[in-house]
Amino acid sequence: MESHAIVADRLVKTYGNLVAVSDVSFSIGRGETFALLGPNGAGKTTTIKMLSTLTKPSSGDALVGGYSVVREPLKVRRLIGLVPQDLTADDEMTGWENVLVSARLYGIRGKKAEEEAKRVLELLGLWEHRDRRVATYSGGMRRKLEIAMSLVHSPEILFLDEPTLGLDVQSRRHLWDYVFMLKRQGVTIMLTTHYMEEAEHLSDRVAIIDHGRIVAEGAPEELKSRIRGDRIHVELADPREADKVVSALNELLGPSSVEPASGGQVVVISVQEASSVLPDIIRALTGYRVKSVNVVKPNLEEVFLELTGRSLREESMDPARFRLHLRRLR
Amino acid sequence: MLYETLVLLRREVVKWVNRRPVLVISIVTPLFWILLFGKSFNLLRLISLEAPPFPAPLAEAFQRYVSSLLVELFGTLDYFTYVTSGILVVFALFQSMFSGVSVVFDKRLGYLTRLLVAPIPRGSIFLAKVGGTLFRVTVLSAVLLLIADMAGFRFKEGISIIDLLGAWIVVLLVASGFTSIFSSIAFHINNQEVLFALANLVNLPLMFTSSAIFPVEQMPEWLRSIAVLNPLTYAADLTRYFLVGKEIGDPITGLAVLLVFASASLLAGYHVSVKGMEKD
Repeated sequence: MESHAIVADRLVKTYGNLVAVSDVSFSIGRGETFALLGPNGAGKTTTIKMLSTLTKPSSGDALVGGYSVVREPLKVRRLIGLVPQDLTADDEMTGWENVLVSARLYGIRGKKAEEEAKRVLELLGLWEHRDRRVATYSGGMRRKLEIAMSLVHSPEILFLDEPTLGLDVQSRRHLWDYVFMLKRQGVTIMLTTHYMEEAEHLSDRVAIIDHGRIVAEGAPEELKSRIRGDRIHVELADPREADKVVSALNELLGPSSVEPASGGQVVVISVQEASSVLPDIIRALTGYRVKSVNVVKPNLEEVFLELTGRSLREESMDPARFRLHLRRLR
Repeated sequence: MLYETLVLLRREVVKWVNRRPVLVISIVTPLFWILLFGKSFNLLRLISLEAPPFPAPLAEAFQRYVSSLLVELFGTLDYFTYVTSGILVVFALFQSMFSGVSVVFDKRLGYLTRLLVAPIPRGSIFLAKVGGTLFRVTVLSAVLLLIADMAGFRFKEGISIIDLLGAWIVVLLVASGFTSIFSSIAFHINNQEVLFALANLVNLPLMFTSSAIFPVEQMPEWLRSIAVLNPLTYAADLTRYFLVGKEIGDPITGLAVLLVFASASLLAGYHVSVKGMEKD
């Protein structure tokens, strides 16, 4: 039996001149939870679309459950469940009708379809709301319904595209619990997110994607261990002072341990032990307009910053990418 | 394929029935048309001679003559009956357009994504849209005829179940053809406005260049040559033939034209729609 649930092999997707995904390869073991972490417009959704057969790769291929997404899309579709970023339930129908239609589309017939629909609605705590029209559901309930519709055929492999986007903290925690539960049942899960806590908390392995390329891949601990020592973030009121601040700090700490990030709004200092050098650093910053100084313990956010020189939360993207993103959102 | 189509068709029906206001409006609209349109053009009024300006025998002869002209032209003495039998096919056209609009909404609201990731033949998504229109058109036509009957529609003498079935099939062929066209366009666009604009562009011309609301024989030569190409002309003539008993010479030709129109549109619409679904 194939030991990998998903093997992506040099996937490329271009839209006209825009390269949304360029040469992405990775593999996900059976039962593993894998997160694709990156900012908006990095190519996460496009990758999921290719793996779930919604769009054909421009080149490259992927095996999902042992079947090629290019040559055997129908076989792939039987094995997978997809919770897309957008809501997809029909809001004119009830939750029950929506889940039932989903079950039947996966070839589950008669009484069995009703049993399965009941099972997933109960699982997600929607059973008592089943006869309400979806239009009356809250945002959290709608998200749960999306998951129920994607689980009704008990898929081996589940894709979650930004599953907690726009959810409040409590709903997000609930959703994480469901992911853990599915994981315990042996479902292979691939999720995309731009929340590093989510990737860190949920997944066995993380791939960091930026501008359509995977820049790092490994277990969260492994990725974090690439960053030695501590990071100190100095947030400046005026980005134009960044160069001067960098040279002042370089003088103090030696070269190459100080770098500007986020277009000069932040200066990142890498040190062995933050507490011993912090007083000197503060002294060196006297005279500059500093908004804040933070000591940051290594996390995936740091890894991303280190690898790309940009913050995950930066929403800025170039216009072509932004248009593509809007198009997807529609 | 059949099973998946039926599952999706059921959704179309549930949605339509759930939308009470839309259901009521879709029934009231054709009624407005036939009652206002049909009853305001009262043809009999033209030949009712209360105070004839010439001797009675002459007046009666004149009346008989005009009546025979009208019957020859419209196949019926009252315009209400004429236009109602034509409106049946016009509303099949309108319902087909709504089907296209619903495709765009399925796309925009994300439902189509859910269908595209499911292990179903893509063709079933298209066929369910066609089936949905056929269902709606069947219900609406039945309601329309029932009310028209009460409002004085003159069915042909000794109308049989075969005639009703004939008219039904004509309406279904029109609906299949036009739903295929509108849906296949809809699968390629993301904006319902485009479809509305397109429908505005073609619906009225299609209606007025057909025999649905006015006889082709009365049209100028150039318009008549367009009307002969319009499937609605054949359809309206046929519903009139089956329901009112208007002589149209050869019903088989008309049926054949409609059959070719419907199957060609279905076949092309099927492929174009599936292609639209595969598009990024």
